[in-house]
Amino acid sequence: MSWDDFPFFALPAAALWLVAGVLALRADTPRRRLAVHLPMLVGIALFAAFIALFWTALQRPPLRTMGETRLWYAFFLASAGYLTWLRWRHSWLLLLTAAMAATFAAIDVLRPEIHSIALMPALQSFFFVPHVVIYILAYALFGVATLAALAQIVRLRRDTADTSLFAFMDDAVHVGFGFLALGLLLGAVWAKEAWGHYWSWDPKETLAFITGAAYLVYIHLRAQGRADALAAWALPVAFLLLLLGWLGTALFPGAQGSLHLYS
Amino acid sequence: MARKLWQPPWGFREGALFVAGIALVGFALQLTVGYFDFYVLHFPANIVALALLVALIATGARWGDAPLLRWFSGMSFAIALIVGLLVLAFYMELTPQAVRPPPPSAGWVARLGFASVTSSWPFVLLYATTLLALGIAVARRLRHATRHDFVFLCNHLGLWILLAAAGFGAADMQRVVMYVREGETEWRVYNKNEEAIQLPLAIELKDFRLEEYPPRLALIDRASNKPQPEARPDYVQIDPTRTRGKLGDWNLVVDEYLHEAVRIDGEFRPSPMPASTPAARVTATNALSGAVKSGWVSGGGNVAGFYAALDLDDKSFLAMTAPEPKRYSSDIVVYPKDGKSVAARLEVNKPLTVAGWTIYQFDYDKDAGKMSTYSAMELVRDPWLFPAQFGMALMALGALLLVWRGAGARRRTP
Repeated sequence: MSWDDFPFFALPAAALWLVAGVLALRADTPRRRLAVHLPMLVGIALFAAFIALFWTALQRPPLRTMGETRLWYAFFLASAGYLTWLRWRHSWLLLLTAAMAATFAAIDVLRPEIHSIALMPALQSFFFVPHVVIYILAYALFGVATLAALAQIVRLRRDTADTSLFAFMDDAVHVGFGFLALGLLLGAVWAKEAWGHYWSWDPKETLAFITGAAYLVYIHLRAQGRADALAAWALPVAFLLLLLGWLGTALFPGAQGSLHLYS
Repeated sequence: MARKLWQPPWGFREGALFVAGIALVGFALQLTVGYFDFYVLHFPANIVALALLVALIATGARWGDAPLLRWFSGMSFAIALIVGLLVLAFYMELTPQAVRPPPPSAGWVARLGFASVTSSWPFVLLYATTLLALGIAVARRLRHATRHDFVFLCNHLGLWILLAAAGFGAADMQRVVMYVREGETEWRVYNKNEEAIQLPLAIELKDFRLEEYPPRLALIDRASNKPQPEARPDYVQIDPTRTRGKLGDWNLVVDEYLHEAVRIDGEFRPSPMPASTPAARVTATNALSGAVKSGWVSGGGNVAGFYAALDLDDKSFLAMTAPEPKRYSSDIVVYPKDGKSVAARLEVNKPLTVAGWTIYQFDYDKDAGKMSTYSAMELVRDPWLFPAQFGMALMALGALLLVWRGAGARRRTP
């Protein structure tokens, strides 16, 4: 199992997610809802199967390269979108998360990476898998919250802001921030064990601080009870900073010396 | 009617201006006295400063119902502070950061503090303001705490303890790198002025070991001597479970792979000799012309005579990359000045703590690879580590509760 086999899993999965997203828009009877559950679950299972087989073939966790993190992101985003739909029934949100997950899967189909079994000694640690997986899970929740915020911004312009949508954004951001903080703390404990200090202002760490601070701004704005455009706009801005930290660290000066730059 | 600026009760606008004011004072100090020297905060000065801060926080909490203090320890000011620190962190990201604060002659960016943001006055002042405001917020909450404040206290008190331990403890942390040759014992390290410092412990290096991954195959252009395609080179990983690969127009089959081999009369044979090198016998078939080439490929390691490439055509040849390290370790014995000696195997991610010093596998002779005759170890002493870890543990508990309860973990604002 390698990147060569990825399209055979990713393309059907992405198609199934998109079908489920479209069908969700009209899922008003139990039978029609079944037509959402089935393709969503089969798509997620296909993706999970690829990750599991890929992991076995690589002989190391597939969490080292950008493409590998995108793999998990698509998986978590689809899963988070589905769980959100189960709980909140925002059908349009399922379609948007399905489209976003399909996009990330498509990037990996269009830019396959080179097969490599090497895992540098610094990454061979108990902390490697939870540190990265928890971060990506947080990213996925923030992705869903951002899509909801964009919808809320449109509603605010029309003066039809939805309180239940704010409630959903709050939940997604609080849970996401909890995961972000756990990922960061696991990273700090690991860094102490691997590099001798728990925080070094490495370019990726600095961007993690910036991302965390941006979400703290949203959390405190909402704790003040501000249900307005400023609170809603905080989420897309924070998500842009998040993407910068995840995919764009290499663009910044000092990144060459970064301890976080793994192809 | 809308509230005018500076008309009580103060809110976010006053907070933003206040934070900007602190930053301006910081820049003024930066231009006049230069970078903040954290060394002034070494023991016992940091204990005195911390005691003063705690006294200030206690006083603030005592009069915490005064409108000014409510605002200072409230959410509007917190948001302004977070944005202020975010902006400084962004400057840190955009400007290359110097390891040590640069001299005043280094230009305007450096003089304004951006060359080493964490040692610049604006950052230090905003950090101190955060400790004060966050401290008062926590202390005020502690005075009337109920179980509903538990998540708030985990997150905010945990963060305060971590920030205090990191800030006040920075000057007490010692980090040195020690180089030890195989079979020798060392107790000296060298500082930036190349002066020897004697440590209260000695380290004997019994053995240094390095294991490597199977290397990769690359198609090299004869003219440029670079792997192809040049913009984004392609490689075939040698992997016992996958013997086939493709580079350019060439289909490759790895017929035989020897992880440790030596070359005798042009043929590679398995051997555990220290100078041994990975080697692979490869058959390459051109998908267009049908040409077939077969032979040994090896990077050669440290022995020039072991190098072997496979000639494909007049444009390119097949070569092997240098293997990447899989794990490296030092078998050491540590002799503390007073106390029993400790024998251990040091590895990346597996440090050893003896007599207050934590010893890390740090480096080795990269050119010599597994034949490296020395091992570099980093020694770190951080007396403030325990409080920092305690703060992190509180934050982890708070984060778990956020995950569990979502926005329900938020306190109810009256």
